[in-house]
Amino acid sequence: MGFFEIRDLCKSFDTVTVINQFSIELVEQTLCCLVGPNGAGKTTTMDLITGRQKPTSGQIMFCDEDITGLDEHEIARRGIGRKFQVPAVFRDLTVKQNLEVACSRSTNPVKNFFRFREPVFAAKLEEVLALTGLGPRLNTEAGILSHGETQWLEIGMVLMQDPRLLLFDEPVAGMTEQEIEKTAEIFNRLKKTHSLVVVEHDMAFVKQIADVVTVMHMGSLLAQGSIGEIEANERVREVYLGDAED
Amino acid sequence: MNLYHNVRAQWLAYLVFYLFLAAVPLVVDDNFLLNQLSTYGVYGMLALSISLCWGFGGILNLGQGIAFGLGAYGMAMTMQMQSQDASNPMPPFMLNNSLDHLPLLWKPFANTGVGMVLALVVPTLFCLVFGGLMFRARVSGPFFAIMTLAMLSAWGTLILDMQPYTNGVNGITPPAPLHLGEFTLDPYSPTAYWTVLGLLVVATVVAKLMTLSRFGLVVQAIRNDAERVRFLGYSVAGYETAIYTISGFFAAVAGCLWVTLTQYVSPAQFDTTFSLSMVIWAGIGGRMSLMGAIFGAFLIQGAQSYLGDAFLNTWLLILGAFFILVVRFLPKGLIGLVESALGRLGRKRGHDNGGSVPAQQMLPQPGE
Ligand SMILES: Nc1ncnc2c1ncn2[C@@H]1O[C@H](COP(=O)(O)OP(=O)(O)O)[C@@H](O)[C@H]1O
Ligand SMILES: [Mg+2]
Repeated sequence: MGFFEIRDLCKSFDTVTVINQFSIELVEQTLCCLVGPNGAGKTTTMDLITGRQKPTSGQIMFCDEDITGLDEHEIARRGIGRKFQVPAVFRDLTVKQNLEVACSRSTNPVKNFFRFREPVFAAKLEEVLALTGLGPRLNTEAGILSHGETQWLEIGMVLMQDPRLLLFDEPVAGMTEQEIEKTAEIFNRLKKTHSLVVVEHDMAFVKQIADVVTVMHMGSLLAQGSIGEIEANERVREVYLGDAED
Repeated sequence: MNLYHNVRAQWLAYLVFYLFLAAVPLVVDDNFLLNQLSTYGVYGMLALSISLCWGFGGILNLGQGIAFGLGAYGMAMTMQMQSQDASNPMPPFMLNNSLDHLPLLWKPFANTGVGMVLALVVPTLFCLVFGGLMFRARVSGPFFAIMTLAMLSAWGTLILDMQPYTNGVNGITPPAPLHLGEFTLDPYSPTAYWTVLGLLVVATVVAKLMTLSRFGLVVQAIRNDAERVRFLGYSVAGYETAIYTISGFFAAVAGCLWVTLTQYVSPAQFDTTFSLSMVIWAGIGGRMSLMGAIFGAFLIQGAQSYLGDAFLNTWLLILGAFFILVVRFLPKGLIGLVESALGRLGRKRGHDNGGSVPAQQMLPQPGE
């Protein structure tokens, strides 16, 4: 058994099967890009991993433990962090407060009653600000950030959580060229110490960051391998890469 | 920067506010007026409890009368039993309801200490269990509000129906004020006023510290987006249950105090209008601000005492209309006016100094 493994995962909504016998395995300290056409089931897979949806059948193993069907917060505590496709931040709170909430070393409500700051927060904040460049916006309400800044904030929140496995759902959507560049840099740095799964459409971006590429199609695994192998794969070209590459 | 968000300024505002209130008995001679003002303190504590739950936690609770009423009944039973003795062990209304011995339900209240503890513990436990069940099942928003309303009616009916134990619609009217050992708490005295105010101050300080703690921060994050909080590893149900229960505890304290001031409790305390009023106080004053909510209670109850008689039948309509106007145009309540005024002042001063304050030097914004 390994670090992270999905076995024969299935998910149906009523009669529609969205995830069908999907299995993958991840090695620690790699970055896996999850690609596939719209509606392939990438977001649903992340929902299943993080407990937002319960699988119809199948198993999800993380660090030698079966986490299938656990509640969201229990999975998060075990070290899986997630960034949502539609950026989700706390709009009334300032950027700093958002990061403070995300720095969730102690989650017990009674203990937090008597805590006014998280001991590791200051050090962690410096690190996250250095990566995301949100320093000047620290006391701004998150609700008035630009789209790009909101993306950065949510990335920052996931980093604050310090999970062992990080899931990013289309993190560079709506970012400028420079911002995408910067994100690639952060991911390349992160994968030295963490494991990442990144859902992405932009193949140029995938090429910059991916150790492994997993292609999903209609809820099933279509192909898996290095970026070169995937690009050479006939079936992948057919369903997905074909148009984008020419 | 906005002075309104400065924690030190907020503490200072509390200090001034409460010092002013503490001085009131020095100038008010009329003991009946003083008693009335003391009850406003109780309403202030109720508004505070609503502010915690609804303003900070985003949990609209239309049944705060449950915790208030249960606390009040517990205290009333305790005070009633202080007037009974071995030769006369049963409250008079029980004899009228042809009971021949003191029911088990009443026995613990014969001991004042036990009775007072029960008056606080029972409502708090109720909130813990009810809230726990609801929040674990992810009942939230309007659905939770409706459940609290239904629960409120259920409790009101239950107490009304248990005539032999609760004296039904007539309620309980302890004949003598509360006495603790040698000391008697005369409800028409400055001592009673200061007791209420003292407890309101303690409640405010505890509530304020709570909103500044990590607990308070997570609760405010839940108000924004409960779903997102789960993925950070927090048990949302746990936090929601905690804030709902703490809020209920404050309401129970308010219920106890209210009975010591009025020597009276009846199923009217479980009326929906009363629980809705609490929400209106907090909404008009400013639910996201503890002091705003307390001020709202003073304002509305004060207005009701003096204007309510003049507009007897239309008072509720006027109040409702006012509430809708405030919610529509001032979502942060009347205290929101103070916030924007201080904001404008701060900006003006910033310009006078030749530029605005750099963002990094701003003080962190607390949870108001
Ligand atoms: N809650 C749901 N109920 C029914 N169908 C759903 C639900 N969530 C997702 N789906 C369907 O599952 C498929 C996969 O969706 P999704 O995982 O969002 O795809 P992707 O993220 O790869 O674009 C889509 O066809 C979508 O319509
Ligand atoms: Mg998607």
